[in-house]
Amino acid sequence: MTYDEYLDGKPVVVTAALTGGIQGKEAHPDLPETPDEIAAAAAAVEAAGAAVVHLHARRDNGERAFSTERFQAVTDAVRDATDDVIVQHSTGGTAAPDALRAEPLRTDPAPEMASLDMGPMNRGRRLTSENTRDTIDGLHAEMRERGIKPELEVFNNGHLNESFRILDDLADPPYLNLIFGPGTLAPPSPANLQRMVDQLPERAEFNVIGFGPHQLPLTTQSLLLGGHVRVGLEDNSYLRKGELATNEALVERTVRIAEELGRPVASPAEARDLLGVESRR
Amino acid sequence: MACPHLDYRDSDGERQFDTARAFCTVTEEFVQPVHADICTERYGLDPEADCEVYRAEAGLDWDE
Ligand code: SF4
Repeated sequence: MTYDEYLDGKPVVVTAALTGGIQGKEAHPDLPETPDEIAAAAAAVEAAGAAVVHLHARRDNGERAFSTERFQAVTDAVRDATDDVIVQHSTGGTAAPDALRAEPLRTDPAPEMASLDMGPMNRGRRLTSENTRDTIDGLHAEMRERGIKPELEVFNNGHLNESFRILDDLADPPYLNLIFGPGTLAPPSPANLQRMVDQLPERAEFNVIGFGPHQLPLTTQSLLLGGHVRVGLEDNSYLRKGELATNEALVERTVRIAEELGRPVASPAEARDLLGVESRR
Repeated sequence: MACPHLDYRDSDGERQFDTARAFCTVTEEFVQPVHADICTERYGLDPEADCEVYRAEAGLDWDE
């Protein structure tokens, strides 16, 4: 979690966010949506060096789905298509009621990891992902019960406070995901990323997401600070200006940069050890 | 219920979709999946109250 760890060549965990729930094929013609498409993308990013896949589920028409049934279809397809990659389910969702938000945790087997949003995030004029304390605590309790490693989604500085609130209830190491972008996300800048990292407890591991054009610079900065990285089409559609990306190409680029900088890329087994994730393979 | 401006289309002129996707007849564009929750009045969302496009088309100010 420090520059010293970068100097020591600490392995980096690469997470690929393949799909998301925000945009669909209207934004990127090859964004994977069906279980088969998501599974093919998962196999490709695992081969490219991703240790974790962050999964959302969709309805047949591309709209978001939260049901255990839809997540089961995605997770079965992904587990069949991959060797050892860690499966992480999203529990995030604009306006979706709490009962639905817990459904992605109830697949069989349970996901090894799941995202846990640490507070509100706005979209558009009236769309809000509320993420009340009640929602956070309810989802967290269910994750603990099912042995699922939570990945705390910190959309801005205030969400660090919420993370610290539950710090004592988290198994070591606490794993915080620092997210930078527009709107109610933390303003994307190297200084803001450094400041967030400076405030983390020593025993925490952190991961960085930069939306859109901030994906490349801020994940690279995370490599230098001993952090982990998430890339993928959920967060960024382009490899460079005007050139649509694939999930695989985004992971390949991250792996190239990490290795060039002296950070070996963690295998799924190494990532489980580093992050304290229970294997379900 | 759904927004009166919501249509489901299975082609964008170039590509064919296996299942028809949410299309807004005001903007003449496919709708983002996250926004389709408003178009379909899912989770208590409501086009008249919550959609910028609907309100602009209806001439509604946000303080009305
Ligand atoms: S975008 Fe707005 S106006 Fe268009 S269909 Fe959806 S709710 Fe209706």
